[in-house]
Amino acid sequence: MSVRIERRLEQPRWLAVAVPTGSIVLALLLTGAVLLVTGHNPVHAYHRLFDAAFVGKDALTQTIVSATPLAFTGLAAAAAFRMNIFNIGAEGQLYFGAIFAAAAGLYLHSWPSALLIAAMIVAGAVGGAAWAAIPGVLRAFCRTNEIITSLMLNYVAALILNYLIFDSLSYWRDTSTPEAKVFPQGKMLSDAATWPAWGIVHSGPGLVIPLGFGVAVLVAVGLWALYSRTRFGFEVQVLGDSWRAARYAGIRTRRKILAVMCLSGAIAGIGGASQDGDFRHLLDPRGLQQAGYGYAGIVIAALARYNPFAVVLISLLLGGLQNAGYALQGADFPSGLVGVMEGLILFCALGCELLRRYRVRVVRRTGREPTVPATEPTA
Amino acid sequence: MNNGIVVVVAASGVLYGTPLLFAALGELLAERSGVLNLGVEGIMLIGAVMGFWTVQRVHGNSAVVLTAAIFVAAFAGAAIALIHAFLVVTLRANQIVSGLAVTIFAGAAGLSSYLGNDLNLADKPARHAFDNISPFGLQKLPVVGPILFGQPLLVYISWVWVILIALYLSRTRPGLNVRAVGESPAAADAMGINVAGYRYAHTIVGGAFAGVGGACFSLMITPQWVDGLTQGAGWIAIALVIFAFWRPELCLVGAYFFGAFSALPFTLQARGVTVAPELFQALPYVATVVVLVIVSMGWTKRGLGAPAALGTPYVREET
Amino acid sequence: MPEHESRPPAVRLRGITKRFPGVVANDGVDFEAAAGEVHALLGENGAGKTTLSNVMTGLYRPDEGSIELDGRPVEFRSPRDALDAGVSMVHQHFRLVGAFTVAENVVLGDHRGEARTFRLHPRRIERRVAELGDQYSLAVDPRAKIWQLSLGEQQRVEILKALYRESRVLILDEPTAVLTPQEAETLFVTLRSMADDGRTIIFISHKLNEVKAVADRVTVLRGGRSVVTEPTADATPQSLAELMVGRELASTMRERVELTAEDETVLEVDDLWADGDRGETALRGVSLEVRAGEILAVAGVAGNGQRELAETITGLRPATRGRISVRGKRLAGGDPRRAIRAGIAHVPEDRLGTGVAPSLTNASNTALKAYRRHGPFLRRRLIRRRADELIHRFDVRGATHATPARQLSGGNLQKVVLGREFSAQPSVLVAASPTRGLDVAAIATVHGHLRDAAAGGMAILLISEDLDEILALANRIVVLYEGELAGEVDPHGATVNEIGLLMAGGSRA
Repeated sequence: MSVRIERRLEQPRWLAVAVPTGSIVLALLLTGAVLLVTGHNPVHAYHRLFDAAFVGKDALTQTIVSATPLAFTGLAAAAAFRMNIFNIGAEGQLYFGAIFAAAAGLYLHSWPSALLIAAMIVAGAVGGAAWAAIPGVLRAFCRTNEIITSLMLNYVAALILNYLIFDSLSYWRDTSTPEAKVFPQGKMLSDAATWPAWGIVHSGPGLVIPLGFGVAVLVAVGLWALYSRTRFGFEVQVLGDSWRAARYAGIRTRRKILAVMCLSGAIAGIGGASQDGDFRHLLDPRGLQQAGYGYAGIVIAALARYNPFAVVLISLLLGGLQNAGYALQGADFPSGLVGVMEGLILFCALGCELLRRYRVRVVRRTGREPTVPATEPTA
Repeated sequence: MNNGIVVVVAASGVLYGTPLLFAALGELLAERSGVLNLGVEGIMLIGAVMGFWTVQRVHGNSAVVLTAAIFVAAFAGAAIALIHAFLVVTLRANQIVSGLAVTIFAGAAGLSSYLGNDLNLADKPARHAFDNISPFGLQKLPVVGPILFGQPLLVYISWVWVILIALYLSRTRPGLNVRAVGESPAAADAMGINVAGYRYAHTIVGGAFAGVGGACFSLMITPQWVDGLTQGAGWIAIALVIFAFWRPELCLVGAYFFGAFSALPFTLQARGVTVAPELFQALPYVATVVVLVIVSMGWTKRGLGAPAALGTPYVREET
Repeated sequence: MPEHESRPPAVRLRGITKRFPGVVANDGVDFEAAAGEVHALLGENGAGKTTLSNVMTGLYRPDEGSIELDGRPVEFRSPRDALDAGVSMVHQHFRLVGAFTVAENVVLGDHRGEARTFRLHPRRIERRVAELGDQYSLAVDPRAKIWQLSLGEQQRVEILKALYRESRVLILDEPTAVLTPQEAETLFVTLRSMADDGRTIIFISHKLNEVKAVADRVTVLRGGRSVVTEPTADATPQSLAELMVGRELASTMRERVELTAEDETVLEVDDLWADGDRGETALRGVSLEVRAGEILAVAGVAGNGQRELAETITGLRPATRGRISVRGKRLAGGDPRRAIRAGIAHVPEDRLGTGVAPSLTNASNTALKAYRRHGPFLRRRLIRRRADELIHRFDVRGATHATPARQLSGGNLQKVVLGREFSAQPSVLVAASPTRGLDVAAIATVHGHLRDAAAGGMAILLISEDLDEILALANRIVVLYEGELAGEVDPHGATVNEIGLLMAGGSRA
C-alpha cells in the first residue's frame, strides 16, 4: 500500500465550490477544538460571533464597513498575484492612498462635494500607485524580488504615517488646539469630503452601504473585464503562466510588471481614500495600522483564487469576522480568536487546494496479475 | 562622553540584535533548505508568550525556570513551523501565502494574543528574567568589555549557535546535504537525499530558533507580555537573512547593526536629544531594500548566495 | 561474452508496469543485463526507456513487477535504496548542484560505512576523485565549480559519482546528446573499461549506429513493452530500426529544394556578438546569410552558443555588437516584438514553457502572437475559430481549442507551435532543435512542414544537435564552436566525421 499524489488532468467544476466550502467548515471545526481545549464553549462563541457579524442591530452595516478595506486590498492582491507578481505591499499602499486622499480632502476643501470626493479617489489611487511603483520599478528594471521589497516598504510607509501625525508638525496634523498638541491626531476633513452612504434597509437591523463599498464592487467588475476581455488581460494571463512564453510572444514584460504593480497599488490606495472619506474623516495612523488590512487582503485573494467577484464575497465573510471580533472584544470573549480563525481558514484552504490540483490515491501494489492482490510483490 | 554614547548604543545594539539574530539564524536554516518562511513574526510572538507563561507558572530556582522557558519557547516555535512545513513541503502550498497565514494565525491579532489573554499574562512583570552577567570579568576590558561582555546569557549562547551553524553548513555532511536540497532538490533526490525530510527538519528547527528569538523579548529585553511586543522584529529577521547573504556570521554583524538602529532613538532621547525615532526605525528596512537592489543589479544570484531553489516546491517529475 | 549459464544476471526486471495518469509508460517489461556487458536499451522517444531506468534507480516505484540484482529480489523505495544496492544513473538532464564543486557533488548523499563521517574532509575526497579520474580517463578538476564546466565535463562528473560509490550497475540516458562524435568515442572507451571491470553498463539511446558501436547486446522497447533482446553482432541498423518503429521504414529522404542564383538573401547576420546567461561571451562575431527557400543548418555540440544565436536573432537576447537584417532592413535587437513584426518566426528549443504557455488553452496559445492585431479588446470568438482551423489544418490529434497545452503530446504540441508560426506568414523561420524528443512519425511530420515551408520561399535557419536531421534537411551547413562559426560544409559531400571534427573545434583537413 502506498499513497500516491497525481496531478489531475481535468479539474471537475464542483470542486471549485466544494473545496473552499469544505475548508471553511474544517477551519470552524479546528477553531472549535482550540476553543474547547482552552475552556470556552464553541457553540456559544460561534453563536455570538454570528450574531455580531450578521444578525444584530447594525451588524450587517458594520460588517460592510469592515469588509470595504478588505475588498480593496483583496482586489489589489488578486490583480498582482494573477501575474505571479507577489505584491505583499497593499498595506503600505493603502497608507499612502490614505495620506494622499487626506491631503486632497484637506487642500481642496472648498470644492463641491462630488468633485472633492472624486479628487480624493484619484489622489488615493495615485498615492497607492506611486508607492507600489517603487517595488515595481525595482522588479522591472533591476530584477529585485518584489516580495521582500514590497514587504519592507510596508514598514517604511507605516513609519512615515506615524511621523506625519506623531512626530512632526505636518500638514495632516491637527495643531489648532492645545489638547491636539499633547494628543496628536490628524486634521478633520470638511463635511464636503465625507463620502455618502445609502440606507438600504431601514427597519430591523438596518443596512447602510457606504460609497467605498460600491466603488470596490465597481473596481471588481472593472478588474474582471480588464483581465478577461482585453489585450492587457491576455498579456497578464500569459505572463502569469509562463514568463518565457510571454517574452517569446513579444510582450513587453517590464512595462507590464510596472503597470500591474501600479494597478494593484492604485486599488489598495483607493481603499485608503475610502478609509479617510467613508469612515475616519481624518488621517488616523493607529486605526489604519491596527487591522492589518493588507495582509488580510492577501488571505482573501488566495481564498478567492484571484477571482475579483469572489474577493468581494469573501471580504464580506472575513469582514463579518473582524467586525464581530471588535464588537465582542472584552473579558468574556477570547481576544485573538479572529486571527486564529483567519489563519486556520487559510491553512485549510491551502491544504485543500491540493485536492483540486491533485488526486490523492491509495495504491495497492500488486504482482503481475492486477486482479489478484499479492501480499509480497517480489515473491 | 562621546565615547560613552557610542558604547551605550553599541551595547544596546548587541542586546536588541540578539532576538533578531536568533530568528534570522532560524530563517537562514529554513531558507538554506529551500523553504521561505514568512511566518517568523508570528512564531516569535508564540515563543515570547509561551516563554513568558513558563516563567510565570513554573516554580523553582531562576536558572531552572529560565532554561525550561527557553525550551518551551523553542518547542512552541517548532510546533507552529511544523504547520508551515506540512503545508509547503507535503501539500506543496504557495510558500508566501502559507507564511503569511502563519503570521496571521499566530501573530499579534491571533493565537499569541489569544494565549496571552487566556493565560492571563498581560501587564505583569516577569517573575524571572535574564540578567546581565560578565563571564570571567571580561567586562573590564576597555570599550569591547562593556559592549560585548556585560550582556545576558542568551547573547553568549547566540554566539555559540552562530559558530555551530556556520560549521554545520560548511564542514559537515548533513550541512552539505541541506545546501544541495536548497540549491537543487532534483540532484539531491537523485543522490538519495531525503528532500522532504531535510526541509521539514530545517523549517522546524528554524521555527524553534524564532521561538527563542521571541522569548528574548519577553524574558530579556522587556520582561513582560504585551500583545505584539516583537513589533515587526520577525520581518527584520527575514530582511536580515538577505542582508547577510545567507551566511550565519554575517547575520551576527547585521543583527547588531539593525539592533543598534532600533535602540538608537531611545538612547538619544535618554540623553535629551530628540530625533524622530521613525528615521532610525526605517533604516533597517531601507538598508535591506538597498542591499537587495545592489545585489540584484550587480552580481548574479549565485554570487549573492541565495539558494537557487528557494521558494519552490519539489515534486519528482512524473511524465 | 562474459555471461555464465550458472550465474544469475546482474540485473533482471520482470513484468515491470508503470502507469501515469492517462498513459501506461511501461507495460509488463522484462529486461536482463549481465555483469561485464554494455547493454543498450533502444527505443523511440516515448517508448518507455526513461521510465524504465527511473524504475531501476528507485525514482519511480513500479505499479507491478519485480527487480532482481544478482538473483536477489530487491525493492527500491527511493533513489537511496538503489544507490545502496549499487545502481547509479546518469540522467539526460544532469543531477548536479551547480554551485558546488566537483568533489562536493561526488560525495553528496554518500553514507556508506567508513565514508560516513559527520565531518567532511574535502581534501581526502578531492584526492580520491582525482585518482578515479586518472584511472578511467575522466579528466576534470575536483575543485572546479559545476557551473564553470562544459556539458561534456559535467557528464564525466556524473560518471565519477557512480565510480566513487563503487556502483555495479550504471545506467546512462542518451549520454551522447551533449558530446561531439569524438567525445562520444572517448566515452565509449571509458564505458568499455568499466564493463571490463565487471560492471554492468546500461546504455539508453535511440541512435542505431551508437548502439552498434558500443553495446554487446541490445533490448528494444516499443510502446512501453520490450520487443526483443539480441546480441548487437546479429543486428543491422535496418533491422533494429524496424523493431524500434514497428513497421518497415520508408525512406524519409526527399529531394532538397534546389536554389537558383537569383534567390534573394532574406536573413543577414553580420558580426553578431552576445553574452550568455552567466555574463560570459557566448557569440563571437557570427556572420551568416540565409536565402529565400533555403535551409541553413547550424550544427554543434550543445552549449556552444546555439541557444544564444537563436535568441539573439529572434530578439529575446540583446546583441552586444553586430547587426541583423531581414530583407535588407536592419532590425533593432533585443526586442522580440520587433523581430516578429519584421517577419521572423521562431520555433524555440523549449516548446512547453517558451513556445507555449503550458496552462493556457490552445486558443490562447495559437493567438500568442496574433492577439494584438485587433485593438485593445480581445476577439475571443475569432481566436477560438482560428484555433479550431489550425488544429484541423495541422492535424493536431485529440485536442480542441479549449485543451490546455500541457496535455498535448510533444508531437502535437510542435504542430501547434509550427501552425501558429506559419500562420503569420513569416519570411524567416528560426527553428531550434525542432524534433528533439519526438517520435519517428512526428519527426517526419515536422521535417515535412519545414521542407514545404522552404519550398514556399521561406528562409529557414535550422539549429540542431542532431547530425542526421541536419544531413537530411540542410542546403548548407555551418558549424558553431565556442560561439564562433568553425566552418561551412556542403551536405552533399560531407561525412559525419568531418563535421564532428569541426564541432570539436578542429579545423578541416
